[in-house]
Amino acid sequence: MNKRVTKELKSRSLIAFGILCLALVVVIGNLFWVSVIHGEEYKLKAERQQLSDTVLTARRGCIYDSNMKVLAQSASAYLVYINPSKILSDEQKKLVVDGLVDILELDEETVEAKASKENSSYEKIIGQINQNKRDQLREYISDHSKEKLNEIIGIDADTKRYYPLDSFASTVIGFTGSGDTGLSGLELYYNEDLTGSSGRSISAKNARAQTMESDYEQLFEPTDGYSLVLTIDEVIQYYLEQQLGQAIEETGAKYAYGIVMDVETGAILGMSTMPDYNLNAPYKIATNSVLEAINELETDEEKAQATSDAQFAQWRNRAVSDSFEPGSTFKLFVAAAGLEEGLITDQSTYTCTSALQIANYTYHCYHSTAHGVQSLHQALPNSCNTFFITLGQNLGKDKFFKYFEAFGFTQKTGIDLPAEASPVENTTYHGLSKLGKVQLASSSFGQSFQITPIQLVTAVASFANEGKLMTPYLVAKVVDSEGNLISETTPTVKRQVVSKSTADTIASLMEEVVISGTAKNAYVSGYHVCGKTGTSDKLTSEGQVLASFVGFAPKDNPKIAVLITIDEPQVYGASTGGSAAAPVAGRVFETILQYMNVDPEYEDSESSASSASVPNLVGKTPAEAKNAVSNYSVHIVGEGEEVVSQVPAPGQAIEKGGVIVLYTSDDAERLTGEVPDLSGLTVSDAKRIAISAGFNIKITGLTQSSNDAISYKQSVEAGSKAELGSSLTVYFKSTDALAD
Amino acid sequence: MAEKVKQVAENRQKKQGSLSKYIAKGPIDIPFFGALMAVVAIGLIMLFSASYTYSYYNRDSSYSIIVRQLIYDAIGIAIMIFVSKMNSNVFRYIAAISTPIAYVLLIAVLFWPEYKAGFKRWIWFKSFTFQPSEIAKIALVLTLALLLEKNRNVTIGKVPSELKLSKKIYELTEGKFTIYKSFTYLIGYGILIVFYIGLIYAEHHVSGTILVALLSLVMLYLGEVKKGWFYLAIGVIAIGVIFIIANPSFLANYASERITAWLDKDYDPMGARWQTNNALYAIGSGGFTGTGLTFSKQKHLYVSEPQNDFIFSIVCEELGFVGAVLIILLFAYLIYRAIKIGQRANDRFSAMLAMGIAFQVGIQVALNIAVVSDLIPNTGISLPFFSAGGTSAVLLFAEMGMILSISRTSRIKG
Repeated sequence: MNKRVTKELKSRSLIAFGILCLALVVVIGNLFWVSVIHGEEYKLKAERQQLSDTVLTARRGCIYDSNMKVLAQSASAYLVYINPSKILSDEQKKLVVDGLVDILELDEETVEAKASKENSSYEKIIGQINQNKRDQLREYISDHSKEKLNEIIGIDADTKRYYPLDSFASTVIGFTGSGDTGLSGLELYYNEDLTGSSGRSISAKNARAQTMESDYEQLFEPTDGYSLVLTIDEVIQYYLEQQLGQAIEETGAKYAYGIVMDVETGAILGMSTMPDYNLNAPYKIATNSVLEAINELETDEEKAQATSDAQFAQWRNRAVSDSFEPGSTFKLFVAAAGLEEGLITDQSTYTCTSALQIANYTYHCYHSTAHGVQSLHQALPNSCNTFFITLGQNLGKDKFFKYFEAFGFTQKTGIDLPAEASPVENTTYHGLSKLGKVQLASSSFGQSFQITPIQLVTAVASFANEGKLMTPYLVAKVVDSEGNLISETTPTVKRQVVSKSTADTIASLMEEVVISGTAKNAYVSGYHVCGKTGTSDKLTSEGQVLASFVGFAPKDNPKIAVLITIDEPQVYGASTGGSAAAPVAGRVFETILQYMNVDPEYEDSESSASSASVPNLVGKTPAEAKNAVSNYSVHIVGEGEEVVSQVPAPGQAIEKGGVIVLYTSDDAERLTGEVPDLSGLTVSDAKRIAISAGFNIKITGLTQSSNDAISYKQSVEAGSKAELGSSLTVYFKSTDALAD
Repeated sequence: MAEKVKQVAENRQKKQGSLSKYIAKGPIDIPFFGALMAVVAIGLIMLFSASYTYSYYNRDSSYSIIVRQLIYDAIGIAIMIFVSKMNSNVFRYIAAISTPIAYVLLIAVLFWPEYKAGFKRWIWFKSFTFQPSEIAKIALVLTLALLLEKNRNVTIGKVPSELKLSKKIYELTEGKFTIYKSFTYLIGYGILIVFYIGLIYAEHHVSGTILVALLSLVMLYLGEVKKGWFYLAIGVIAIGVIFIIANPSFLANYASERITAWLDKDYDPMGARWQTNNALYAIGSGGFTGTGLTFSKQKHLYVSEPQNDFIFSIVCEELGFVGAVLIILLFAYLIYRAIKIGQRANDRFSAMLAMGIAFQVGIQVALNIAVVSDLIPNTGISLPFFSAGGTSAVLLFAEMGMILSISRTSRIKG
């Protein structure tokens, strides 16, 4: 058998090789088609799945109060996402959905729907979860590593804005929305400073959405946002909010807002609108009554609309965004203009006949009877309309407008807050050309035009600041994340509006208003409060008023200016600025000036009426002690030889004739008694009842010489037990209608 | 005296011959060996580059796949050198028993399979698994080479068959229809081949089936079977392919879905087409010149198992169209050189063996790249010397050893 390789085999092998080569040529052709001709197209698709361009969010800056107490901060938080395309079985899906729903407390349907998007490789589940939740989720994932949950569920870094004090200064601070962007308040106004600049990380990710390798990564580091140091003082703000909250309770008002300003610099020490809302849950309706009203609505649409309205209402910083007719408080500026222009002196008189005819209008004074002959010293405390109408007419429209403009009522104050109401000529106020006699007349006592609370307090503060009008501000300093100073606000004098002497005269007149006029409820003994009240009809709701007080203290060395506005108080016959707003202002002045360590300076009349301090009686025999304080009501407890302790403690000031309890043995039971109801009493009745019940009384809120004062509030609740000899603070206010 | 000397010399020669009968002498073909080593080296480099990410995430370390492959290749090369020292006599013995062994293994794997994702392809043997279908390929080449060498005269001759059935048909058709011996032999080969194909198809191993079928055709063609049959075969295959493409559901589910996924480019992108799409993204990302060695992005778990059947997509991404073509040309040269060795072989068995092995590699390369670049439906077919794998590497090197052995006695000039 011939085994030699035949020619046929050789030629066939070449033919077969030829066919193979042909096949390879086709293969190469196809490769050319894919890699060169359609290469870009495929490359694009590849890159779309490979590249991950992550924004590295800069940490948002903090917001501090003036004492570096944190009011807003950004905490580390986490974001959870899933890759539904990696869910291969129903069991896996169930594990994913159950785990997420349980740990993150989510709606099952929503998660299920996201997990069912099998063509998607990224579905965000939730952002801003805390570390605890993240740890729980991580544990869950590693517990189910067999089911490869780690390929499905992913966790990324996120940031969460946190407000440690919840509702504190909420309308001023504002809050952030998604992406940590400021939506209102300072968070919005200073958003750019707070945000910093975010970085970017462009990296290639693998099919499990993990980063491939550092080689591909391009990193642009983020710069953290700057922090704000506010002029707001936590304590002052706290007192203000507390008093405004109480005012709402007492008067049933819709809103109450207030501003506390440093008169020398224009720095805002406190600013609040009540009721407020929780910054950590800004969309939640914070006021229960509002929430109930919404729930009573019938359709979902109405509910949604009402909820949205209520949200905007609770976010509104009314102290800068609302405008109102100032009413009588504006008379201060007319008086100042008259004095500055030399048209009148504080001694010039004018006779009030209760009615005054200007063009076709007859203006009436609040008092049904005429005030008669009076100078500024009477006209301002009485808040006589006709006096100021006449003064306004004498000034004339040019001079009136000059001062209107000078006090800053035609412009925004420029406070560093968003949504400051903007004055519009001939809409919110009369422009010079439209300022006829009638308009001038009504404007002279604060009607027919509108201003904002912040404009009013800023203008009034000029009387406490030698006539200089300041620009109000809330941010004292901007610092970077390491605390380095970036910028500092220097107080800005807008202009000298009136001379120092005019300002001082107005200040003296304002003190008289507090001592004997419509603002007497703002009196705080020792602090020489200067103020003026106003009551104006609300243009938006029929029959409702806006009661306000604006003033400053102490008179000789003014520290703070305070504005209190009670919006729609519901106290029949006492919804005036003097009745509703002034007492609140008084309490605000008292607490804040005490906190600021401003020493009270008592008038002689005040100190004589008031107490002496209790002498030290410890160590004396009961008889000696009794002798030493003979004009007090003394109780001796125990059978000991000498006094071992006393209530009140030595040095404490109490009313003359007050109660002193002396203990002669250490184990003697402390005397307690039931606190009497001290409301609705005159000063002397309250004193008598308190002392007979065994308590001392501290009178506040009103000059003690005033005989129309009635107590309305006490520091310790009636009916509760308290130690005998301790002091009960009782607040008084005037029963006068205090029409202003 | 001279007689005695001659006797002694003859005896010595006989003694030596008892060993030398099995030993191949002469130098190996250096160009073939060089081309082979180049392919192996490039293959290993590309395997390392393609596998380390996958290996990092799915194995103990980035190196575990490449280290295993280096060990397999080292064993393979040792076996290759050993085999290259044997001569064709040894291969004839192996050829004689190869088909029964292959059949036994192919049947055994059906009963004792080591499952891998539903495919009964692997046999568990001691602590390693191997694919009987890999053995089947070389067994088929050996067997057909042996039979076709022996029966050449029958194959090309025109002698009537002496089988009773043939005679009966002749009688019944009154001499109009003569069954030739060549035809009955062809039927015999057909039965042998159909058993191979049937058993491999029973493993759900479509690519193996196609490969064996094509290889059989090539072997029969080299064995000088009359050309007319091939025209017929090509016609039948063409009709069959068209029929299957038109009715994919005719095949089992796993196979029909792949045809559907090949026809409909938007079909199930996260499932059936994921692998192919990502291979295309890889090839496209490589473009003309490639991203450079190691710079593939698609190997980062996008191309699933980039160390196996789809390694060429990573080759294309990193080395570009240019690199891919150079590698294909290198393969073509290797095959061409093996065919040349075959043409100069001492006997037709050796010639057909060398050529058969060469075409086996060639068909695999062509099919693999065609799959990777979406030219044909996705079937699991590995790229020789590139794809990771133990059995296939060892067997490939043993086959290369046979070619080298044949090259020792062939007379290539230049």
